[in-house]
Amino acid sequence: MKLNIEGLLVYFPYDYIYPEQYSYMLELKRTLDAKGHGVLEMPSGTGKTISLLSLIVAYQRAFPLEVTKLIYCSRTVPEIEKVVEELRKLMEFYSKETGETNNFLALALSSRKNLCIHPEVSSLRFGKEVDGKCHSLTASYIRAQRHSNPNQPVCRFYEEFDAVGRQVPLPAGIYNLDDLKDFGRRKGWCPYYLARYAILHANIVVYSYHYLLDPKIADLVSKELAKKSVVVFDEAHNIDNVCIDSMSVNITRRTLDRCQNNVDTLQNTIQKIKETDAAKLREEYRRLVDGLKEASVARETDIYLSNPVLPDEILQEAVPGTIRTAEHFVGFLRRFLEYLKSRLRVQHVVQESTPQFLKDIFDKVCIDRKPLRFCAERLQSLLRTLEIADIADFSAVTLISNFATLVSTYSQGFTIIIEPFEDRTPTIANPVLHFSCMDPSIAIKPVFQRFQSVVITSGTLSPLDIYPRILDFRPVTMASFTMTLARTCLCPLIVGRGNDQVALSSKFETREDFAVIRNYGNLLLEMSAVVPDGIVAFFTSYVYMENIVASWYEQGILENIQRNKLIFIETQDAAETSMALEKYQEACENGRGAILLSVARGKVSEGIDFVHHFGRAVIMFGVPYVYTQSRILKARLEYLRDQFQIRENDFLTFDAMRHAAQCVGRAIRGKTDYGLMIFADKRYARADKRGKLPRWIQEHITDGSLNLTVDETVQLSKHFLRQMAQPFRQEDQLGLSLLTLEQLQSEEMLKKITQIAHQT
Amino acid sequence: MDDQGCPRCKTTKYRNPSLKLMVNVCGHTLCENCVEMLFVRGSGNCVQCDTPLRKSNFRVQLFEDPTVDKEVEIRKKVLKIYNKRDFDFASLREYNDYLEQVEDIVYNLTNNTDVENTKQRMEQYQRENRDVIQRNKAKLTREQEELEELLLLEQQGNEQRRLEVLQEEQRQLQAKRKNKQALLDELEQSHVPAAILLAKHKVRAAQLETQIEQQKQTVKPASLFSTGIHMNQTVSLQPLPRIEEVLYQYKPLQVETYGPPVPELEQLSRLGYLNHVRAAMPQDTAGGYTSALACHRAIQDAFSGLFPQRG
Repeated sequence: MKLNIEGLLVYFPYDYIYPEQYSYMLELKRTLDAKGHGVLEMPSGTGKTISLLSLIVAYQRAFPLEVTKLIYCSRTVPEIEKVVEELRKLMEFYSKETGETNNFLALALSSRKNLCIHPEVSSLRFGKEVDGKCHSLTASYIRAQRHSNPNQPVCRFYEEFDAVGRQVPLPAGIYNLDDLKDFGRRKGWCPYYLARYAILHANIVVYSYHYLLDPKIADLVSKELAKKSVVVFDEAHNIDNVCIDSMSVNITRRTLDRCQNNVDTLQNTIQKIKETDAAKLREEYRRLVDGLKEASVARETDIYLSNPVLPDEILQEAVPGTIRTAEHFVGFLRRFLEYLKSRLRVQHVVQESTPQFLKDIFDKVCIDRKPLRFCAERLQSLLRTLEIADIADFSAVTLISNFATLVSTYSQGFTIIIEPFEDRTPTIANPVLHFSCMDPSIAIKPVFQRFQSVVITSGTLSPLDIYPRILDFRPVTMASFTMTLARTCLCPLIVGRGNDQVALSSKFETREDFAVIRNYGNLLLEMSAVVPDGIVAFFTSYVYMENIVASWYEQGILENIQRNKLIFIETQDAAETSMALEKYQEACENGRGAILLSVARGKVSEGIDFVHHFGRAVIMFGVPYVYTQSRILKARLEYLRDQFQIRENDFLTFDAMRHAAQCVGRAIRGKTDYGLMIFADKRYARADKRGKLPRWIQEHITDGSLNLTVDETVQLSKHFLRQMAQPFRQEDQLGLSLLTLEQLQSEEMLKKITQIAHQT
Repeated sequence: MDDQGCPRCKTTKYRNPSLKLMVNVCGHTLCENCVEMLFVRGSGNCVQCDTPLRKSNFRVQLFEDPTVDKEVEIRKKVLKIYNKRDFDFASLREYNDYLEQVEDIVYNLTNNTDVENTKQRMEQYQRENRDVIQRNKAKLTREQEELEELLLLEQQGNEQRRLEVLQEEQRQLQAKRKNKQALLDELEQSHVPAAILLAKHKVRAAQLETQIEQQKQTVKPASLFSTGIHMNQTVSLQPLPRIEEVLYQYKPLQVETYGPPVPELEQLSRLGYLNHVRAAMPQDTAGGYTSALACHRAIQDAFSGLFPQRG
């Protein structure tokens, strides 16, 4: 259907539209009009992706000079593929309606591992190996050597692409990863480099978060993307953790050992080159004396996205004299490395700020701050000069040099924690240096600064106002949308007591309490008798799950449950988990159904959907707080309190509730779907916890379902399930939660729609 | 780490965890016991390279690679002499060249290449730059100053935060106690039913909580002078670079009022404008006020914009 959204003609590829989708597009359009950033929360399963795509594509067509590109960031490869499929549908609709072939170019980009078509390279198993092998076939000097030595192996796909591919642009169309590979095979071009080249002039790019947020990758892939782009972060409820992870560095003893090997190799290579080809080193030296002018010019002319690892002040200065020649630099690395080794030899936990670290390093090994700051850049230059083919081998020394640059650049927002052993195994020495970023805004800042609109969206972003605070930006729109429903298809229940009136809680004091464990078991047992098909149960941690399941086994509860349903368990091993999942779904397809025991923050809670009968009930045992004793977390909380005035408890609760919401949200993936959401902990009834759940869950929590016993829960569930199991046709939804174009244009509906968006 | 050992007596860290390795200027290791044994007389030659050594120069080995220990030792010595700072140079380029030169010296001394020449160069440098070296002895480089400043700030911040938290806690405690006492007093004296009083108290307690939360304020410690210069910053002794530019020419401001010309301030009384405004009182004139000023401004206001611009 064709919609008119505040004067913008939007093609929407379906015959019906949800009212909240309309409202969502309205808000989105206002964000784009204002050229600002937005935070939008809309429940999962209400068609966020298609609303986003159809509005932004329409906007792009209407104002081709205002918005030139859409950068859609998602988390996993399957999600990326899903987005591309939606886009394909939209484009087909466009060409059907307008009757003309449009010249839209949209493509997905992923790692070499997913895109390589070279027969030998693509057969490698790990991403790192593929990258390394690819680099050893395509690096510029390898190809230069081939001129003199035709036996030097190179990648013929890359050669072909380099010879012809750049002149001929990728024909317009929608390309997912397989399409790119097919196209590459047909033409004999390398799909990976083709895609990387094509994103510069594509209208829509779909790729993973890391291509924008991880400074090392962003520098390679995304730095030339146009300023007038709209960036969308989908499923962004974890974006702060992604930012933090991309800036943090963990250094173990093994890293240092490998780094030592790297440095030795570097030294040997330098010796060798000095004997054979000293001119090359002299050339590099001359370049360094002149400074990094090249990069500086590029940034001034605003071609590139800025890089947090390469701070601006570096570009304006020349490399300091202390690390200008190759030997001096290797000596410098060696000293830095030995210093780190000596720091790792601690007996107790050390926590210090970056200035303290810098002072100490100067006292111990006379390393100034300035050369440290240039370390990463200098190493890159050296690696280029030495023409080392297999970059993958040098990951350790690259890591160390990145660490050096970060530690000397940022005096705030980072902390250094050296732990001689892990908390759980205090007898085994396993020293780790955590250089942990506490400020997610550092990694995402270039994105907000560069692009005119950044939209952060997810099904669970509540409370909305915390994201702008921790990411340090000013959104023009913040809105939370609810789900309009023809029938209340979700039923959140808070179970606070067992049948024996014992308070249910996963708090630390009652973790080992048999009464609580027994009541939890009882709850699961009773539910397994009433709920058809699949039940997913989430625990707060692997350890807690192990304890409880062991205890259930001893008490014979497991045996009773197994009379009703099969039980599957998520483990830390990815292969095992995916096996369990597969079997769980198989069991749901036939028979009495199954129970999947899994862990909040685990793989299942983040990426797997349990549509329809795969998840008729989700039980959340306890409140999934993070492990609060971790020093990294403590440091981060302290930082949040000091810098952003966010209290520890607020943040912890916020974090726990977003994960709880993420878990229970797995069950409802659309309006025809239905499911129970059982929060089994009395703490959920408190206003501060409840208030942090997304609004679309909150509105269905009635006062009557705040502190139920197991029996009452079973009664309510029975009632709910029986009601929901009645046939439900599309006509029932029409006019209420599903609209045709005529209905949408009616006066009263428009009035209703304006109420859906909940501005904050 | 465990495979480190004394090259002479072959004891390793693994067999003797309390083993202490020592390093002297030549960069070769010996364990503490061997040092005690070989250097009873206070000096002797290195077992491995025959360099004459003193016992007092033995240091505990900090790093796994003894050459790094040696290098750091040498570097500290060299840096004592070569202590020019970046503001001693006219350009960054020169400073960088100087740094590289220092690095060369350290490299040569560490790797025993061209030792004699290098030492001579150092001595020569020391003679030539004696006063600069003396002067710079106490000064830190700019980077280090920044670091010190950051550390100081951090300390101050921590201290202040600790105090604030403490005060805050006490204040809260007091407020709560007072509130409780008030309730007791009221229960004792008032004739209102206890249930209502209790409810009131509950509301008041909630208000108190929110108040306490709102009171959080952050006071940033001052690190700047009022001029905007950072505290503890060294001001460079280099003369300021002269900027060659064309001299600034003053051009009087042309104001387009779009109205009839306003009479001059002096002429106002002659033209009779002042008859229509309040005469200035003696206390007004003390500050330099005259009624002509106000009149003039009012006329300006009234006249400007009377002839709207065409088009």
